[in-house]
Amino acid sequence: MIRALIVDDEAPARDKLRRALGEHRDITIVGEAGNGLQAAEAIETLRPDVVWLDIQMPGLTGLEVAAQLEPQDAPLIVFVTAFDEHAVAAFDLNAVDYLLKPYDDERLLRSLTRVRERQGTAARSPAIRIARHQTGVSDRLLVPQGERLQLIDSVAIHWLEADDNYVHVHTAAQHYLLRRTLQDLLAQLGEQRFVRIHKSAAVNVAEIQSLTPLFKGDYELQLRSGHSLRLSRRYRDPLFARMGR
Amino acid sequence: MTATATRSANIALFSLWALFWVATTIVALQEASRNEYIRWWEPLLWEGSSALLGTLWLLLQRRIGLNYAQYLDRPRLWFLHHLKWLPLFAPVFVVSIYGIRNVVYGLVGRVYHHDSWTFIWVYETVKLLLFLSLWLGVIFGFDSFAQWRSQRERLLNVQKALAESQLQQLQSQLRPHFLFNALNTISSLMHVDLARADRLLARLGDLLRLSLQVTRRDLTSLREELRMLELYAQIMQERFVDRVSVSWDIAADTADAAVPALLLQPLLENAFRHGVERSASAAAISIASRREDGQLVLTIVNTGTLDSAQQGNGIGLRNCRERLRVHYGADASLELREDGGQVIARVRLPYREYTP
Repeated sequence: MIRALIVDDEAPARDKLRRALGEHRDITIVGEAGNGLQAAEAIETLRPDVVWLDIQMPGLTGLEVAAQLEPQDAPLIVFVTAFDEHAVAAFDLNAVDYLLKPYDDERLLRSLTRVRERQGTAARSPAIRIARHQTGVSDRLLVPQGERLQLIDSVAIHWLEADDNYVHVHTAAQHYLLRRTLQDLLAQLGEQRFVRIHKSAAVNVAEIQSLTPLFKGDYELQLRSGHSLRLSRRYRDPLFARMGR
Repeated sequence: MTATATRSANIALFSLWALFWVATTIVALQEASRNEYIRWWEPLLWEGSSALLGTLWLLLQRRIGLNYAQYLDRPRLWFLHHLKWLPLFAPVFVVSIYGIRNVVYGLVGRVYHHDSWTFIWVYETVKLLLFLSLWLGVIFGFDSFAQWRSQRERLLNVQKALAESQLQQLQSQLRPHFLFNALNTISSLMHVDLARADRLLARLGDLLRLSLQVTRRDLTSLREELRMLELYAQIMQERFVDRVSVSWDIAADTADAAVPALLLQPLLENAFRHGVERSASAAAISIASRREDGQLVLTIVNTGTLDSAQQGNGIGLRNCRERLRVHYGADASLELREDGGQVIARVRLPYREYTP
């Protein structure tokens, strides 16, 4: 059984997908979403196997939603769009599944066949990588807030701390727990703003207050917030280079 | 330079020229009246002969010198090209005026007394150089002005042509995105409500037909313009069924007003794009027209806030402003502002009745 999520901001477009997918016995539609934020929440809570994801939506676009997902356990994604030359060119180059509106049953079936082929195999779709490439570095990050998700500005993040399969995201007043790897989160947020200081920690470069040498080439790193962290010798040179020292 | 600009420059130049020679002749006559040895006709002959040769030079300049108009933006070259004729013109000038004077004096049986030839050559050449430089300065001023005027005229024509091509571009902007989404809506409706799908298809057809007709003329009646907007709004409402309501408040005495075709289309598109497509909550759009002090006032309001993308920098808005400027100059305006959770786009233009 393939569990599917339908995302489109236009009700008739959702109707169409629901009806067309409903004819296939191996598909269960587990939910629908009408905008980007709802879509991200639905993906988080419903854990669908596949998402038919419209690109043009209020709030977060489909590409931005995909860019926020962790590639390792993200659902398969089929992008749906009426007209988006750049994205479609990138999809074609990288074998990302997509549907162009308007589509007929035959074309929907083709995308469904691809989904069935990939389903259950280790072969991940390059959809998330391409979505990140299309949207550039994320200025906003989706974080869980109670039952819901919310967007925070990435400048507001002070530092990141890895903890098994989770990352703690620290801002001035809050602390969020994301089920992501640090490496992937850094790839999404971009090397410009965040730099690793430790195997399991990274800081917002703009938040660094001072550095004090410790034993054996390690440093104590003081943040503007007063919090202090350890800079490991291994990550010292890249950080210094980044800070222009 | 255009013909009209050259002609008006010539008229002004020759008037000034005539005035100059009348003035110098009067001065010469006045001076001569105080000298009992000089007869009344003598200053007339002196000035007249100079004026005759000078005018011949001016006529030549207007004929041949116009070739030098290309140098008007490089004044030094322009002056050099004119003055290079001086070595040829100076002897012709001196020989001609002294010849004329000698002949006339001879005819009345008198002798023309003048200084030595060496002195005259130098004196007349220097005087001529100063005189020509002065007049070349004046001519330069006139021609530059005429050129500036014709360039501005041409610029306006270019802008007008540009505005027309922008209109075509605008029309092609009844954008693919809109079209494909509308088709998808129809493709969805087909399965549940064939009559509604049919109706929507007919409306899309009407809209396409109207937008194809519109490029053939630049002005249209508000009635026609509103018809397009209505079709567009109806299709958008089908797409965003639960998310938008549209209301119309059109004063009856504005329906026949002339408006630039497709002027409001980008404004309504903006209202949908920013007020509806980018807003997850329910939105409202209203379109109104009224007359006010000889002006036609058109307003499109959408719920929402004015984000930076909508701040009047979009191609659609720039296009509208440009077209208003070409048609009405400073008499029309387009303002975009936010007020109490609403974005208001207001166009004011002079009220004129539309005549097909």
